[in-house]
Amino acid sequence: MLKAENITVSLGARRVLDGLDFTAEAGQVTAIVGPNGSGKTTLSRAMTGDLAHGGTVSLNGQDIARLKPWQLAALRAVLPQASALAFPFTVIEVVNIGLHRGLAGAQGRVAMEALARVGLAHYADRPYQELSGGEQQRVQLARVLAQVWEPLLDGAPRWLFLDEPVSSLDIAHQLQVMEIARDFAAAGGGVVAVMHDLNLTAMYADRVAVLAEGRSLAAGSPEQVMTDATLSRAYGCALRVGRVPPPGVPFLLPHPAAAAVE
Amino acid sequence: MVAVSDGTMERPRRDRLSRARALHGGLALVLVLVSVASLTVGATGVSLGGVLGKLASGEALSRMERVVLLDIRLPRLAMGLCVGAALAISGAVMQGLFRNPLADPGIVGVGAGAGLGAILAIVLGSFLPAGLLAMAGGHLVPLAAFLGGWGTTLLLYRVSTRHGRTSVATMLLAGIALAALAGAVSGILVYLADDQQLRDLTFWGLGSLAGASWTKLSAAAPIILIAIGGAALMGRGLNALALGEATAAHIGIPVQRLKNAAILAVAAATGAAVAVSGGIGFVGIVVPHLLRLASGPDHRALLLNSALLGATLLVGADMIARSLIAPAELPIGIVTAVLGAPVFLWILLRQRGALVDF
Amino acid sequence: MRQLSFSAFAAFWIGVLAICFAVSVRAGEPAAGEGGVLSIGGSVTEIVYALGQGDRLIARDTTSTYPPEAAELPDVGYMRALSPEGVLSVNPALVLSEAGAGPPETIAVLKEADIDFVTVPGGFDAVAIGDKIRAVGDALGVPERAEALAEEVRVALETAQANSRQDTPKRVMFLLSAQGGKLMSAGTGTAADAIIRMAGGVNATGDFPGYKPLTDEAAAAAAPDVILMMDRGGDHAASADQLFAMPALAVTPAAEARALIKMDGLKMLGFGPRTAQAVAELHAALYGG
Repeated sequence: MLKAENITVSLGARRVLDGLDFTAEAGQVTAIVGPNGSGKTTLSRAMTGDLAHGGTVSLNGQDIARLKPWQLAALRAVLPQASALAFPFTVIEVVNIGLHRGLAGAQGRVAMEALARVGLAHYADRPYQELSGGEQQRVQLARVLAQVWEPLLDGAPRWLFLDEPVSSLDIAHQLQVMEIARDFAAAGGGVVAVMHDLNLTAMYADRVAVLAEGRSLAAGSPEQVMTDATLSRAYGCALRVGRVPPPGVPFLLPHPAAAAVE
Repeated sequence: MVAVSDGTMERPRRDRLSRARALHGGLALVLVLVSVASLTVGATGVSLGGVLGKLASGEALSRMERVVLLDIRLPRLAMGLCVGAALAISGAVMQGLFRNPLADPGIVGVGAGAGLGAILAIVLGSFLPAGLLAMAGGHLVPLAAFLGGWGTTLLLYRVSTRHGRTSVATMLLAGIALAALAGAVSGILVYLADDQQLRDLTFWGLGSLAGASWTKLSAAAPIILIAIGGAALMGRGLNALALGEATAAHIGIPVQRLKNAAILAVAAATGAAVAVSGGIGFVGIVVPHLLRLASGPDHRALLLNSALLGATLLVGADMIARSLIAPAELPIGIVTAVLGAPVFLWILLRQRGALVDF
Repeated sequence: MRQLSFSAFAAFWIGVLAICFAVSVRAGEPAAGEGGVLSIGGSVTEIVYALGQGDRLIARDTTSTYPPEAAELPDVGYMRALSPEGVLSVNPALVLSEAGAGPPETIAVLKEADIDFVTVPGGFDAVAIGDKIRAVGDALGVPERAEALAEEVRVALETAQANSRQDTPKRVMFLLSAQGGKLMSAGTGTAADAIIRMAGGVNATGDFPGYKPLTDEAAAAAAPDVILMMDRGGDHAASADQLFAMPALAVTPAAEARALIKMDGLKMLGFGPRTAQAVAELHAALYGG
C-alpha cells in the first residue's frame, strides 16, 4: 500500500502542498483529480521521489526516502506527462531502456509483449522520433509496463504512477490505456493516476482524491466524491453530475464505447 | 483487450544492439591491423618484418632498428591508441551526458584549461624557480596542461552544482564563459610571448605525437585506461539519460552519481590526452557521431566502439602525419581536421532532409 | 533520421585507412651512406658552406635557405618540431643546431641513437658570430679554417660598422609583419635591433624587449623615418602602397618619404657570414651611396 503523510512542498516562496495526506491500495486504481495548480502533479512527483518534500511517503511499508534509486525502480514505474528523446532510438530500444539487468534473455520478449499491449508491436523498428505525440506516449507506457511487467512480485505489489496518461490520445486509445491500468490493478498491482478527464476517472478509478489549492478536498469512491457540491467547489464552476444536456447540441460520453470493448 | 503472449513475439532478426556489438570484433581487428601497419611504416624504412625475422633467428638488432622501433614507433603507437581512444570515448560520454550529439570532450572545460596551462608554461615557464624547472625538465608543459584541465573542470563543476545536483545546462553556459576568460588570459600571454614561444604555442595547439616517450606514457596511460574503463560502464545510464534526467531517475539510474563519474572520467581521460599530445580536434565529435549513424545510439555498444575507432583513426592519422612530408612532420591536428571536417560536412548534407531539431 | 548504410560506413573507413597506409609506405626510403651532417638554423647552414664543408650536408631545416644549394637538400621541418624518425631517416652522424631545437623527446631519441648533437651558441654581435663560426668549425673538424673565417668576418664587420657611423642617425622601425593591420615591431634584444644599430640607425621602437604588436598611436608616436621589413618576394611598390595606406603609418615621416626598405631575412637577421654585407647594404639603403 502507498501512504503519504503530511506532505508539504514549497516551490520558491509558494506553499504548493500543505500537510496533505494520501493513501492508495494495491489492487485498485486511485485517481488524483483537481483543477490546474491544485498540486496534483506536485503530489505525484513527491510520491515518486522527484521533489524534496516534508512528511513521509511509504511504499509497501518502506520509506521511499531510504530506498536507493534502483530499489525504488524495482517497485514502481512512472509514466511522465511528456517525454523528449535526445537520440534516434527505435521504438523497441526505447521500451528496452527501462528494463533491469539480469532479465537479458527475457528482455526481448517482455519488450515486445509490452508493445503489443499498447497496440504498437508493428512499430518496433521505427525511429521513435517519427511517431506522433500520441503514439510516443503509448510507447512510453509500454516502457513503463515493461519495467514492472509482473504486477505482483514475490507477493509484493508493484506500482504504476501515471501523470495525465491520456491527455494526447484519441478516444479509442484513451480507453485502451485506461483498460491497461485497470488490468494491472486487477492483477494485484497498484495504480495511481493524475487525471484531468472526470468521465474516465469515474469509469475506471476505484478511489478518487480531489485536490484543491494544495489540500485534499475529498477522498473516496467515485460515487462518494463526484458530487455537484464537491466538484463545483474544487473546480470553481457550477458542475452538475449525471445531467444530460438539452437537445440540439450533440454530446458524446466514453461510457458506451467502453462497455462495447469489454 | 488483453494482449496474448504466444511466442511469435520473439524477434528473430538481429537487432541494432547485436550488430553494434558484433562491430566490436570488426573494429578490434582493424585496430590490430592498423597498429601493425604503423609499426612497419616510417621514414627510416625499418621494417617490422625484418626485425621480427632477426629476433626469430637470434640475430642482434642494429642500434638504428632498436631506437626506431622501441623508442620512436612503439611509444607513438601506444600514445596514439591511448589518446585516440580517450578523445573518442570522452566525446561519446559528453554527447550522452549533455543529450546533444554535437558535444565534444572540451565541453567540461578541459580543453580551455589545458590550453591555458600550456600557454602559461610556455610563456611564463622561465620565471619559475630554477629548482622547480629542473625537476619538471621537459615535462613542464604537459604537467601544466594537465593541471589546467583539472582546474577548469573542477571550477565548472562547482559552479554548476548546487545542493548536490549538477545542472548540465549551467555547465554548458559556464563552460562558454570560462572559455572566453581563458581566451582573454591567453591573449595577454600571447602578447608577452616572443617569436619562438608563439611558434611553440601554435604547434602545441595543432597537436602532435612526436613527443611520445615511455615516460609520458607511464604517466598518462594508466589515467587514460582507468578512465576509459570507467566510461565504458556507463552505457545503460547514458541510454536512460536520453529520456531526460527525471525519467532516468525513475528507471533506477543514480543520476547525480552518473554525472559525477562521467565528468571525472572525461576530465581525466581528455586532460591526460591533451596534456601529452596537445590540441587534437574532431576525433571527439566525429567518431561517436559517425558510429551513431551507422550502428545506432545504444551507448552500451557505442562507447566501446568509439574508443576502438578513435584509436584506429588517430594511429592512421599519425601514419600520414609523419610520412606525408618526410623527413619533416605535419602536426596531427591538421590531419584529423582535414579528414574530419569533410566527413562531418558530408554527414550533415546527407541528413539535411531528415535532421530532427532537438 | 536516415541511417547510414552499414556497408557504406565500413567501405568509407577501409578507404580512409588504405589511404593512410598508401601514403605512409611511400615514405620509407632511408638516405644512403654514412656520416652526413644535418644543419639546423639558417646561419649555421651558411657557415657550413662558408667553411667549404657544404658537400657533407645531407639535410637541413626550413630556415636554411642560403646558399641555393642548401635549398636542394631534404627539409626536416621547423626546428622546434622535429620528427624523430624523420631526422633518423636522413642518416646523420652529426647534427649542428642553433639553440632551441626541440621537442626534447626528439633530441633524447637522437642522442639515444648515438648521433652527435652539437648546439651552436647564438647572439647578435661580432663576438657572437665568431663564436658561432668556431663552434661549427670545431664540430666539423676544420678549426683552422673556422679561425680564418671568423677573423675575416670580424674585420669585415668592423669596417662596415665604422663606415656606418652617423651623426644624425635615422629612426628605423623594423616590422616583422603587418598582417591584418597588426604591426609586429622589433624592440631591444632582437636581431633586427642589433642590425639597425650596426648600420648606423636608431631603433624607432627601442623601448620594449622582443617582438611586440604596436598600437596605432604608438606606431605614430615612434615617428620612424624608414620602415624596414623582410623581403618575401612580391611587388615592392604595391606593398609600399598598402603599408603606407594604414592609418597607423600614414602620418609618419616614413610615409611622407615613402621610405620602405626590404631585405632578405636570413641575410639581414641571421648573424652569420653575410652580416657585414648586410650592414653595408642596409647603411647604403638608409643613407644612399
